[in-house]
Amino acid sequence: MELKAENLEIGYGDKVIVNGFSMNIERGKITTIIGPNGSGKSTVLKAVTRLIKYQGGVVYLNGREISEMKPKELARTLGVLPQIHSAPSDFRVRELVSYGRMPHQKPFSKKSEEDERIIRWAMTETGTWQLRDKSIYEISGGETQRVWIATVLAQKPEMLFLDEPTTYLDISHQLETMQLVKKLNKETGIGVVMVLHDLTQALEVSDHIIVIKDGKKYSEGVPEEVITEKMMREVYNVDCDIIKIAGRDKPLIAYKQIGA
Amino acid sequence: MKMKNKASNSILRAGAVWTVLIAGIAAAFLAAVVIGSSRITLGEVFSVFNGTAENKVRVIVTQLRLPRAILSLIVGACLSAAGALLQAVMKNPLADPGSIGVSAGASTAAITVLLLFPNLSYSVPLFAFGGAALACVLIYLMAWKDGVDPVRIILSGVAVNSVLGGYNSFLQLQNSDNLQGVLAFMNGSFAGATWQNVRIMGLYAAIGMVMVVLCIKSANALQLGDEMAKNLGVRVNLSRIALSAVAAFLSAATVSQIGMIGFVGLVAPHIARMLSGSDYKVMVPTAILTGSLTVLLADTVGRSVLPGTEIPVGVMMSVFGGPFFLYMLRKRGNFHGA
Repeated sequence: MELKAENLEIGYGDKVIVNGFSMNIERGKITTIIGPNGSGKSTVLKAVTRLIKYQGGVVYLNGREISEMKPKELARTLGVLPQIHSAPSDFRVRELVSYGRMPHQKPFSKKSEEDERIIRWAMTETGTWQLRDKSIYEISGGETQRVWIATVLAQKPEMLFLDEPTTYLDISHQLETMQLVKKLNKETGIGVVMVLHDLTQALEVSDHIIVIKDGKKYSEGVPEEVITEKMMREVYNVDCDIIKIAGRDKPLIAYKQIGA
Repeated sequence: MKMKNKASNSILRAGAVWTVLIAGIAAAFLAAVVIGSSRITLGEVFSVFNGTAENKVRVIVTQLRLPRAILSLIVGACLSAAGALLQAVMKNPLADPGSIGVSAGASTAAITVLLLFPNLSYSVPLFAFGGAALACVLIYLMAWKDGVDPVRIILSGVAVNSVLGGYNSFLQLQNSDNLQGVLAFMNGSFAGATWQNVRIMGLYAAIGMVMVVLCIKSANALQLGDEMAKNLGVRVNLSRIALSAVAAFLSAATVSQIGMIGFVGLVAPHIARMLSGSDYKVMVPTAILTGSLTVLLADTVGRSVLPGTEIPVGVMMSVFGGPFFLYMLRKRGNFHGA
């Protein structure tokens, strides 16, 4: 699958948030969009998945304009986990995951054998199968996030879009979620596009990073090329040292001491 | 294996809830035929059906109490299905047919006709239905801005309800000596229910319920949040409008036939959620049964508790529905999902 956005202009009302933004997402890669609060990174993610409208530009999915695709067709190709989602607390884990099959079902059809198989597959892949009979009220924040990822995975999309998947989690659940994303990408070959706040995590998991500043693309490329002391200063207004440590694959970001 | 058990458990549980509710409805129905200002024994009821009853008993049973009880069941079913859909549309537990202007629109039309064009009184149901639909459309037009957002629907509902309410009050003040018909309309009542009402209401209900079934999948998806629903391929705006239209149709139909009855559309879906969970496939049938039972009970009690007078079912529902609703609010503490 290939996703191509050209010259996007996105705004709410009169307010332009993203302007002249283009990107190319290759199949099978983990692409991370980073940028300060309000830079438009979630807006881009929502626009290319058609959760919101864009006012200008085009988005091609496998060569077709997404604005011309049927909602269900799009939902079979792209799976999006929005930042805000909810479910009635009495829903059981398995029941929630089975909603991922909606784009594949006819209005009145019941769950087919194939649906059941894919639901089980999605839950096994995300390590949530043993939670299947719990109500979503009973499970931890990290588990909840994995269940939602399973729901989106059950759509059998070619590409997974995650909007700040770690934002409300504590550090161990953040790492757990990142590990899962990495594993899914490696084992199933599914492409991942996500918006992250944590730059160390972005460095660790991404194949490709896109930096957005004030609604425009600042830079993009492999993590080590993109996350530089200069970028940190110009985009985030933060002084730091990017340090290579023996025995670690990826460099670390050491921020200027607070109060120093 | 364990999973299979759980799945069948929830089906069993829904089945058990429905069985109890249906048994309750059967008992209440029998009571509704027997109880009243002239008491009729069970034996006399059965004599009606084998043709040996005396004329007076036969008329009371077949012309008064049967149509009345059946109409209560249908009305309860329609209002609670409408309420359940609106709770999914608004993602708000306080949504009911009143919040999309159905009651205010219907009463504006009805009051205008009754007070200003009394010669058109016989077509009040038609005007009430039209008024309800018009108010609802007005609210959605005002709420539309790149799509319909629940908060904007609720707020523009408040605005429209307030304006129409002011007009209604003014008209009533100007005609304060001539409010008999208006009061009857405002406090929905089954007094004088006929087989003709049953036939009309039954037709509305049959059409409406088919549409309700069509709404269930998107109502379920809306519970997962707008963006998640969109991600699953649901047309969120279209679903909101379709669900609202079905709810408006069902509630406008009941208002036009028997006047306003509050709280059923609010309380029945809540009880159903507690009994059957939030999956609309199970919750809506439970809400329909609960609503039917509630309205039938309220009407039967209302017409028999004070000798020589009848408390309209609309009044009964308001008086008992309000405190019951508060009780649930306190007991559950918070609402999930809807």
